[in-house]
Amino acid sequence: MAVSPAEPPAAELVGVSKRFGPVVANDGIDLAIAKGEIHAVVGENGAGKSTLMSILYGLHRPDAGHVARNGARIRLRSPADAISHGLGMVHQHFRLFPELTVAENVVIGAEPTRGGVLDLAAARREVERLGDLYGLRADPDARIDGLPVGIRQRVEILKALYRRAEVLILDEPTAVLTPGEATRLFDVLRTVTATGASVVLVTHKLTEVLAAGDRVTVLRRGRVTGRFDTATTTADELVMAMIGRSLGPATPRRATRPPADGPYALEVRDLRVRDRDGVPRLDGVSFGVRPGEIVGIAGVAGSGQRELLDTVTGLRGPGRGDSGEVLLSGAPVRRGRHPAVAYVPEDRRGRATSPGMSLAENLIMGDQRTPALRGRLGLSASAVRERARTLTERFSIRAASVSDPISSLSGGNAQKAVLARELSRGTPVIVVEEPTQGVDVGAQEQIHALIADARDQGQAVLLQSSELTELRALADRVLVMFEGRVVAEITGEEAGDERLGAAMTGATTGGASGTTTGGTSGAAS
Amino acid sequence: MSGGPTVDGHDANGQHANGQHADGRDANEHHTDGREVDGRGVDGPVPGRRGAGAVVALAGRIVLAPAVLAVAGALVLTTLVMLAVGVDPALAYPALVRGALYDGNLEYTIAAFVPTLGMALAFAIPLRAGEFNLGGDGQMALGGVVAAALALNVTLPAGLGVLLPLVAAALTGALVAGISAPLRTRLGVPAIVTTLLVSTPAVALASYLVRFPLAEQGTGNAQTPTLPDAAHLPALAGSEYVTLGLPLIALLTAAWLLADARGVLGYEIRATGSNREFARYGGVAVNRLAAVTLAGGGAFAGLVGALIVLGPPYRFVDGALTAPGYTFTAIAAVLLATGRPVAVPFTVALLTILSAGGPGMERDAGVPSQLTQIVQGLIIVIVAVFATVRHVRRRRNARTEAGA
Ligand SMILES: Nc1ncnc2c1ncn2[C@@H]1O[C@H](COP(=O)(O)OP(=O)(O)OP(=O)(O)O)[C@@H](O)[C@H]1O
Ligand SMILES: [Mg+2]
Repeated sequence: MAVSPAEPPAAELVGVSKRFGPVVANDGIDLAIAKGEIHAVVGENGAGKSTLMSILYGLHRPDAGHVARNGARIRLRSPADAISHGLGMVHQHFRLFPELTVAENVVIGAEPTRGGVLDLAAARREVERLGDLYGLRADPDARIDGLPVGIRQRVEILKALYRRAEVLILDEPTAVLTPGEATRLFDVLRTVTATGASVVLVTHKLTEVLAAGDRVTVLRRGRVTGRFDTATTTADELVMAMIGRSLGPATPRRATRPPADGPYALEVRDLRVRDRDGVPRLDGVSFGVRPGEIVGIAGVAGSGQRELLDTVTGLRGPGRGDSGEVLLSGAPVRRGRHPAVAYVPEDRRGRATSPGMSLAENLIMGDQRTPALRGRLGLSASAVRERARTLTERFSIRAASVSDPISSLSGGNAQKAVLARELSRGTPVIVVEEPTQGVDVGAQEQIHALIADARDQGQAVLLQSSELTELRALADRVLVMFEGRVVAEITGEEAGDERLGAAMTGATTGGASGTTTGGTSGAAS
Repeated sequence: MSGGPTVDGHDANGQHANGQHADGRDANEHHTDGREVDGRGVDGPVPGRRGAGAVVALAGRIVLAPAVLAVAGALVLTTLVMLAVGVDPALAYPALVRGALYDGNLEYTIAAFVPTLGMALAFAIPLRAGEFNLGGDGQMALGGVVAAALALNVTLPAGLGVLLPLVAAALTGALVAGISAPLRTRLGVPAIVTTLLVSTPAVALASYLVRFPLAEQGTGNAQTPTLPDAAHLPALAGSEYVTLGLPLIALLTAAWLLADARGVLGYEIRATGSNREFARYGGVAVNRLAAVTLAGGGAFAGLVGALIVLGPPYRFVDGALTAPGYTFTAIAAVLLATGRPVAVPFTVALLTILSAGGPGMERDAGVPSQLTQIVQGLIIVIVAVFATVRHVRRRRNARTEAGA
């Protein structure tokens, strides 16, 4: 990129501070985003990244400091103000209307009209024009609810660009994307910056920062602890600024000894499942997980993982035309949550937590009927609080108070709370989906260690992840799903990107493990 | 782009990689962070913000609570209305309070408080699980009829003569409300619709039963005969209208408050109300629980019907159960409590005083008693406005957490 130091930054946060009650989320932060750059913002969970982005987008008002655009101070009282100043934000939880089309969603609220009525043809043309311009192709007439996550995110970006955003804010955009979708996203962002617009990118994936970013700002505990050029920095240096220490080498945590050849803790036998429209989603899936073993599930989104894991956890009861069995220590799983299965869902806000309830209340769900939490009159308040304290400490969950609503925690800390609750239950079987989504590199390491510990204690772990590095580091075996079937079973050591990638697209030839180059992942995870 | 990395302010030449902050704005990065000693510095309480500040903050929270603002707003608006129509508020308000609490009126007010509190629970219990019970009238009327029919037709000893109708009425109310649960889980019709739809025919059925099969012969009045003595709810000492119903409802309310705050079931109900999928994931049988709360609410409505019928004048007078509008006042009170169960008895008391004081105000100050209904209506409107504002704000906050 070419930034002339004389030119005022496209957007700038100057001396911004923000506190929530006793918590200082931002403490005098300066951040300048140059024209045409991709500026990454990284930092530990709870460092204040989302808060800072919210201030830049007019969602929070700073207690001190201000926002400037092109060198001029601006006042943001709402996102509408931010939009009118050319700031756009792509939310992680998309704010799209599922029953409307792509074109309708892009123009909504700022519709082109002809004679006072919505000019749909113009909207469609506009979507196509922007799509061509930025390489953001999406069918203007497709309904949102039929589209995969990656495309929905494109629609969000189109929406911002349609409103003439010159500074695009993305808070953890790749947390929900598959590696392929992420690569395509960065291609798009490059095209966007080539037109002179700027991008602010919050992420925990340092490989993305180094590959796609121009500059990086590191936050720690509400302050800036480092500013780097990606060209001249390393992941290690970033980690140092983020958490104040380096991470050890990414050690695989596969089992040191093979699991006993005993009976399965979890066994799935010839599972066949159809969705409401009668379309087969699982087509004869069979496998088993032994105590002391981590079995990974890989596959492109929509290959049947959702249905498989919902059936295994008992949340999805058998429907019409379904067949097969799920056995837990030899006994069929019953409908509804099974006490012998711990489960970390991928959908943190919709399923894994109740944002309106307190952290302590969120930490007991699933165990509310166990004697350990019993008091004289129902739940023992002190036992509930005690458990919350223990877990927040053991999993270093940062929260001002355990009686605060869990929605006031930073994203990564909420994720850690879910893991804390489920991993502490000591059940024979653990089902984990995307365990490290949204958590910082230090916590990723810690979470991997905890999952490996659970395995070493003799728990059977079923791990679904879209991070191939994560699967490689943890799984003793990886099952690759494609179109509702398990098309390959690869041991952890052999699970190279090439091999997994090929299997995920349905090319089941297997063959020699990858000798070619082209691995995308590598560093700290 | 030049300039090396700057970590923790250890920047050799004071220049940042972006070359911008030449004016010393970055000074705040250079002091050491003294709060890091315990490793959790940022999240610890900030000294000096506790103590007096906390008291002021708490007082502020109470004063600015939506409920307080709604009541205050309603009273201000009412005062303006009084002034506009030429009524002296200095006369009207004391008359209202006198009409509710003094001159021997307190007894009537308490007698109205009991059914209103019962109906408040009928609405509040399902609401905790996210279900709306708008069919209180029907549940109450059928409960009352069943209680009257039992008392008239089955000869029972004292004690049991009261207990059995009460229990039967509660069961009836539970059944009437419970119908809505399968309608929701099987057919997807929300309880807010079905409870209301069931209510009107239920009230009509009660009315028919009282006018015909159960009617008092020969008087032509739409009422049952007086119930036998064994079925009379004992009045509290020194009172004519306040019966054993008051301690009974007080006890049940306390039990509900305790169960809600501390009970396992209360926890599961709250979880269901705040995120159904989360509760389901946690092993809660959400559909069954929703049915239980609807039935529980209905049981309270049925019980209220029986308490009215078994109390003075010890008979089912057609229309006497639904005409005072206990159900509506109760819903208003629950909404006014804005999700805080412990506030419900207080909001019920407040609204009961308002409606009980109306006639006294009309008599003494010449203000039409309908004015008290206007006040109630205004309170609900203001509460609704607050709820909407909060909803919008929460949606905005949800966006804030978007990338969290
Ligand atoms: N609405 C809120 N109410 C109270 N505290 C809040 C609120 N929003 C954020 N915080 C607190 O502010 C701090 C910073 O949170 P923020 O969400 O900005 O972190 P983050 O850097 O985005 O972390 P993560 O990587 O986990 O998403 C945290 O301690 C969090 O608990
Ligand atoms: Mg965040």
